[in-house]
Amino acid sequence: MAQDPILVIGGGISGLTAAIEAAECGCEAVVVEKNAYLGGRVAQLNKYFPKLCPPLCGLEINYRRIKENPRLTFHTQAEVTSITASGGGYNVTIQVAPRFVNDKCVACDACAQACPSERSDDFNFGMSRTKAAYLPFDQAFPQKYVIDGASCKADCGKKCQEACKYGAIDMDMKPETLNLKVSAIVMATGWNPYDITRADNLGMGKVKNVINNMMMERLAAANGPTSGKILRPSDGKEPKKVAFVQCAGSRDENHLPYCSYICCLASLKHISYVKEQYPEAQATMFYIDVRTPGRYEKFYWKVRDMEGVTLTKGKVAKIYNAQGTDDPVVVIEDVLSGKKVEEQFDMVVLASGMEASQRTRPVPVSVSYTPEGMIIPSSLPPGIYASGTAKSPVDVAKSMQEATGVALKSISKLLSAGGAN
Amino acid sequence: MSGTTILKPDLGFVNEVIRSGGESLKKCYQCATCSVVCNVTPEDKPFPRKEMLQAQWGLKDQLMKNPDIWLCHQCSDCTAYCPRGAKPGEVLGAIRKMSIKEFSAPGFLAKMVGQPVFLLVLFAVPVLLLLAEGAGHVPAGKVAFGLPGGFLFSMKWIDPLFTAAALFALASLGLGVRKYWKAMAADLPADRAANINLGAAIKETVSEILAHKRFQKCETTKGRSTAHLLVFYSFIGLFITTCLAFVKMILDPGTGYLAYLHHPVQVSDSFLTGLFAVYKIIGNASAVALVAGILLMMSNRFKNAKKAGMGSYFDWLFLTIIAVLGITGLLAELLRISNMPAAYPVYVIHLCFVFFLFAYAPFSKMAHMFYRATAMVFARATGRG
Repeated sequence: MAQDPILVIGGGISGLTAAIEAAECGCEAVVVEKNAYLGGRVAQLNKYFPKLCPPLCGLEINYRRIKENPRLTFHTQAEVTSITASGGGYNVTIQVAPRFVNDKCVACDACAQACPSERSDDFNFGMSRTKAAYLPFDQAFPQKYVIDGASCKADCGKKCQEACKYGAIDMDMKPETLNLKVSAIVMATGWNPYDITRADNLGMGKVKNVINNMMMERLAAANGPTSGKILRPSDGKEPKKVAFVQCAGSRDENHLPYCSYICCLASLKHISYVKEQYPEAQATMFYIDVRTPGRYEKFYWKVRDMEGVTLTKGKVAKIYNAQGTDDPVVVIEDVLSGKKVEEQFDMVVLASGMEASQRTRPVPVSVSYTPEGMIIPSSLPPGIYASGTAKSPVDVAKSMQEATGVALKSISKLLSAGGAN
Repeated sequence: MSGTTILKPDLGFVNEVIRSGGESLKKCYQCATCSVVCNVTPEDKPFPRKEMLQAQWGLKDQLMKNPDIWLCHQCSDCTAYCPRGAKPGEVLGAIRKMSIKEFSAPGFLAKMVGQPVFLLVLFAVPVLLLLAEGAGHVPAGKVAFGLPGGFLFSMKWIDPLFTAAALFALASLGLGVRKYWKAMAADLPADRAANINLGAAIKETVSEILAHKRFQKCETTKGRSTAHLLVFYSFIGLFITTCLAFVKMILDPGTGYLAYLHHPVQVSDSFLTGLFAVYKIIGNASAVALVAGILLMMSNRFKNAKKAGMGSYFDWLFLTIIAVLGITGLLAELLRISNMPAAYPVYVIHLCFVFFLFAYAPFSKMAHMFYRATAMVFARATGRG
């Protein structure tokens, strides 16, 4: 039975789950991922819920399932540029940017060592730098280096090419355009941390040692910019007093009007990172309401009861630099005591919310969005499904449940289209 | 904690706040962003979060005896940063309107000034009074308001009428301020009540008001203090002008002081070439400042509407009264100098608006200067800052 494949847009935890589930059911699936690696936001986490284990472990399993399944293909550094309906399915165009590194790459690092140019490391949110020839992160899949065309000056006499013993570097690679006929599409386009520099009162980008929650994940991760040691960015000092600012952009009609669902738990998790590394450290979480849905409530109790942990009701609405130091000062009204308080910290972590990716990078499909840029699933054309944070803020577990659901829907669409062929 | 506190929500009050320009009240979810971004609140028990809660719960008593509702200058930093669009600045404005209504007697006038349906009735009072006095009569010859035999002399009772309106307003405001003070003082703990230094508090408050120090802490509506300063000093200037005209009337009896206000400057007039020529200069300069200031206020309102809210009927009534009053005053003067009879009707309109401002001052936003000053003195005297 020759059926057109299922297209999955987005190679994060949701998209990978949908594609793998469909492929393991015997369907063809194609994943299109804009990054040079699969795994999405989950790959950037240090630990994830519910078991607080390292997510790379879970991703490894998925990578193996991908490698073992001939029905699943993927394109990294790729974007879907057009989708048009055609005979019950869709014709899609995919633009693939050149990696300048071919499949012969064994990830030996010789090219990076030879490369004279540097770039800001977006995987670490700019907290470190890599060479223009780089591996996105140590366990990146596919395990292949990338040459960042924008950062490569190409005036070095192709040092990387000379350094590579395997003939893996191909500076003549051109952008490619692929045309595919697919039977169903899964939109698993994911999220970005909300750009909290837009909240001019929270100091991001202006006040030293104010970072966002995803940066905290990278600071705590063993493959992060500080090799897993939580150090504040300005001077590398060990932070002994850390503030966690909830609803930094979420539940705020000037920014994201909805609750981002994951930030309270993320901050509680970050408190546990800090306490693990610095048992005597003080951590204060400033909140409007602590929202830890379902069984996660227990984790909230656990962190709340740790020594040195304070949970203060009151939204931080002003952060400034304490004069003569690198310390940020947060200003709140402690709602329970009715006092306006200023408190100095070593570091502030803003719990910036989830912004749906398509808000800044629309997908070429006729679809209705909520005013906040979330996909309204019922408005999608037949055979196109949305999963994960593309339609509402969810955690990893929920993303995967949804992904399994849309995999089933896509299979059913594929089978009915197969009948029509 | 001893005993139980029973809250008595006044739902009628909640609805009235909502109707008076605080329609966003119920959106507040008590995050306290407002108290943090406010630059004019005291640190202890800051506003406006607690006022938002009190208003949502209908705790009218607590709000009415609270100096904080007037310590708020409606910078609107709270409104700009409010994550829920609850507009605390606008809600406190509505509460202040209700505070005016609570304390200024008689209550029925306060109710009428606060509601658009009564606008025409309120205006009918000065219109009818002036017409009954002969404002419809247009004298022949050179256009003049104050010369013997001129326009104002057809209105025999004009001085007593305006003086009576002003005195009524002062009496009502005086009583209102006294009631407000008593309400605030009743709630004061004994230790704070024992340490009141009224003299120093008044002195500090006056110097603060003269410099508009607190107003200048506003961020979102930065330009407002300049506009308010212009209007504030023009009112002082116009008050001085009126007083000087009054002094001249006493020194030179036989005409009314309103007549002197509108007396054309004549070189041969010894009073005018001497010391009292000054009042003409002060009067005209103040009028120009008043019109400039009020137009600036209006344009600021439009400019800031997106961040700070559009304001209520109560705000715009007050702004409009002052704007029309200022513009018709200057226009009447220009028309008179140009010897155009249109000066007379314009002048009558001007008088109607002056009367409106005077007579209804205790119930309109004009009362803010008295209640806010009282709250500021009280706060200082009792260590609230």
